[in-house]
Amino acid sequence: MFRAIWDNIKGIYSLLVGMAVTWDFFFSPRYTIHYPRKVVERENLENYRGPLELTRGKKEQDQTRCISCQLCVKACPGHCLKVTKGKESKSPESWLYDFSLCCLCGACVEVCPTGALAFSHKVYMVTTTREALILDLLKDLKERVAETPLLVEAPDSTASQEPSAAVVKEA
Amino acid sequence: MDLSLITFVQILVAVIAIICLMVANAVVMVYVERKVAGFIQRRPGPYEVGPWGTIQAICDSMKLLAKQIFVPANVDLVLFFLAPVLAFFPVLLLFLPIPFGPYLTPWKTPDGLVLILAFAGFGVLSNLLAGWASNNKYGVLGAARAVSQSIAYEIPLMLALMAVVFQAGSLNLSVIVEKQGWVPWEWNIVTQPLAFFIYLICLVAETNRAPFDLPEAESELTAGFHTEYSGMGFALFFLSEYANMLLVSFICATFFLGGYKGPIIDGFWWTIIKAYAVMVFIVWIRWTFPRVRFDQLLNINWKWLLPLGLLNLWITAIIIKVVN
Amino acid sequence: MASWLNFINPFTIDDDPGTYLGDFYTDNFEKGAQKGNVILNLGPQHPSTHGVLRVLVELYGEYVLRSEPVLGYLHRMQEKMGEVKTPYQYLPNMGRVDYLNPIAWNWAYAGAVELLAGIEVPERAEYLRIISAELNRISSHLLWWGAFVLDLGGVTPILYAFEEREKINDILQIVTGSRLTMNYFRFGGVGQDGDERFFALIGEFIPYMRERLKMYKDLVTDNVILRRRLEGIGPMDRDLCLRYGATGPILRAAGVDYDTRKAIPYGLYHKFEYRVPIGPPNDNFGRYIMRLEEIEASLTILSQAIESIPQGKHIIDKAPKPAYKLPPGEVFFAVEGARGQVICHILSDGGKTPYRIKLRAPGFSNLSLFAEAAKGTILADAIAILGSLDLVIPEVDR
Repeated sequence: MFRAIWDNIKGIYSLLVGMAVTWDFFFSPRYTIHYPRKVVERENLENYRGPLELTRGKKEQDQTRCISCQLCVKACPGHCLKVTKGKESKSPESWLYDFSLCCLCGACVEVCPTGALAFSHKVYMVTTTREALILDLLKDLKERVAETPLLVEAPDSTASQEPSAAVVKEA
Repeated sequence: MDLSLITFVQILVAVIAIICLMVANAVVMVYVERKVAGFIQRRPGPYEVGPWGTIQAICDSMKLLAKQIFVPANVDLVLFFLAPVLAFFPVLLLFLPIPFGPYLTPWKTPDGLVLILAFAGFGVLSNLLAGWASNNKYGVLGAARAVSQSIAYEIPLMLALMAVVFQAGSLNLSVIVEKQGWVPWEWNIVTQPLAFFIYLICLVAETNRAPFDLPEAESELTAGFHTEYSGMGFALFFLSEYANMLLVSFICATFFLGGYKGPIIDGFWWTIIKAYAVMVFIVWIRWTFPRVRFDQLLNINWKWLLPLGLLNLWITAIIIKVVN
Repeated sequence: MASWLNFINPFTIDDDPGTYLGDFYTDNFEKGAQKGNVILNLGPQHPSTHGVLRVLVELYGEYVLRSEPVLGYLHRMQEKMGEVKTPYQYLPNMGRVDYLNPIAWNWAYAGAVELLAGIEVPERAEYLRIISAELNRISSHLLWWGAFVLDLGGVTPILYAFEEREKINDILQIVTGSRLTMNYFRFGGVGQDGDERFFALIGEFIPYMRERLKMYKDLVTDNVILRRRLEGIGPMDRDLCLRYGATGPILRAAGVDYDTRKAIPYGLYHKFEYRVPIGPPNDNFGRYIMRLEEIEASLTILSQAIESIPQGKHIIDKAPKPAYKLPPGEVFFAVEGARGQVICHILSDGGKTPYRIKLRAPGFSNLSLFAEAAKGTILADAIAILGSLDLVIPEVDR
């Protein structure tokens, strides 16, 4: 009887301790990031795997390094790549990539003999249709080339992440 | 009890004002509850609609108004639609005897507490009907829980309030407030701490709020007695839940916290401040504790609160006898 | 017919047999029910089943007389997929088997393939494997902790657990590139080496997590409501656990000292000093406290690992390519996951793809304890027992 009363008093004390914890958290700063207004810091996205992108060539920076060898197409477990070889040269005519099927495993990036593929960091990609998820990577590369024509460093698969920092503007 | 024309008009005006109060309270409390929950959980809570999300609750109620009312197969249609109405309307009467301010009592009746305790049972009837009529096993389980919980917790609640009534010598709520002073140590919470403690637990249990929200325990019964309600039916249950919360908070303020009396000028603002402080407390404990089990809930009542309430009443009676 | 009649006479009871909604499982379950008892379908969509698990219960009042879990709502043929894909292509699937503990599954499959092919793993890669596996174990236990308290009605703790989980996700994202279904391991090493930021963040995380564990104790573990909800409820003794093949914290809470990291050592776990918590309390509270203590043990392993990690390669030079063929043979590799023993059993005939893959999910065996443990408890306790088993339905169904 007395033990039960003592247990209950201790129990009520434990409830007060719990309330003190939530009281502290009530006045502590918010932890979440309010997404459309703010986004996470850039360094959190450094190694994030977004949809694939084609890297730029070492010498001709407006060209892809892809030689249409189809190794990535064979390696892909989700069958999400479609590379068509060009008629005159080795470089591809079209490079279609179905992001809705991609599992971001990295098999294509690792198998590529020329390092033509890399993961981008597009975390805020939103579409309303499935068709919009089929990406034309050559078009994407052209757009990036038009934005920043020349990179100072040779862009390999890890250094192409921050183009804005390493751009030399052609005067 | 003479119901003259003036009293009748007074009550009519009061009922309309109380409906406005209930709806406004629901809007405010939805916002406060979500904000407090958000801040405790280290997120901003409602944020997008209006400045700091203040219009969120109004938008939600608009959504509920516009929603289709889904009627499941084989329900008892009369009871199904009667239950939310029954949940909402009896609460109106319960606000009548509460002295909001020195000159602001909807209906000054000498036995206001009897009215409150008599009509407080209506809420559970609506829960029972809702659970039974909606032809859902979760609903029936929730309704059964609601009934046994409400009936059990009304007894210690009454005992706790009776101790205060003994002390004041009246069932009139205005007299109970008048007997208390304006400084905190002249409130009944000092003379009746045990009764206040019992009342605080019963208040959470009577309004079916966490940690005693067993009739609608979402991890066990999905939503308990209002599982099958959507649109306005759900909104009325929601409204009545917050109205019940407001009511028990007002009673708490009146009986234990000095009612409309305060340091500067007596008035209804003190009642409202005190009542909302109690409400924020209820919200705070909801977002802190896990839920008790059903047998534990009844054990707390029958094995602890009821004997404690009786003991408290007994001690109060002896002290009053000795002092007088 | 009766739906419009209801408007005229609402007291009409619809006895039309066409509206009967039972299925195979309900029919079979109803045969054994006593008259007057309620048969309740918990799930497949129910807030406390954490996914699409369906549990049939026979209730007498609120007492659970019988129960029967119904599986298969999330079956994705993961084992069959292993037979049609090359070993390398099958690797990303392992993150999807159990999305809360992908690294352990990564390890089970990569380890099995390495054992069969006789691939040596560099020492640094072994350390990185241990670091990522232990971080992943902590994050899995954290989410379980939050979800379990959510089952008991406490809403706030899961959001606190997510703060730590987000920190772990940030750390693991540096090396794995993703936050949920990680595909980190490769045959002969790991996908990426940890940089300085990776180790610095882990160094910050360990003391932070120890502080937070104290807060967990104050807020939840010592809470009297939680204690009385858990203590003495759902005891699962040694016998029951061994009969159904339960592993992981459930088996250890029953007092059996069996941890795959110590029983069948793999990786470099033998180099580390840590205590595997063993419980005599084999009730819900025992299983609860077992997992919190495992978080502490994992923190100990982590702090030792980041201090003593050697320099070197993170993957062997001639790591298998996507077209890699397995040599013929049969192999079996067991790993201690967050939920118990994860086993990958591969039978290869030397073809392009393995002949047969069997994945042993700990959740599947652990779930089979439920029917027996929940017998005679109150519905709320049955839910608590279900939560204490730490089920991840994708892993149970595979």
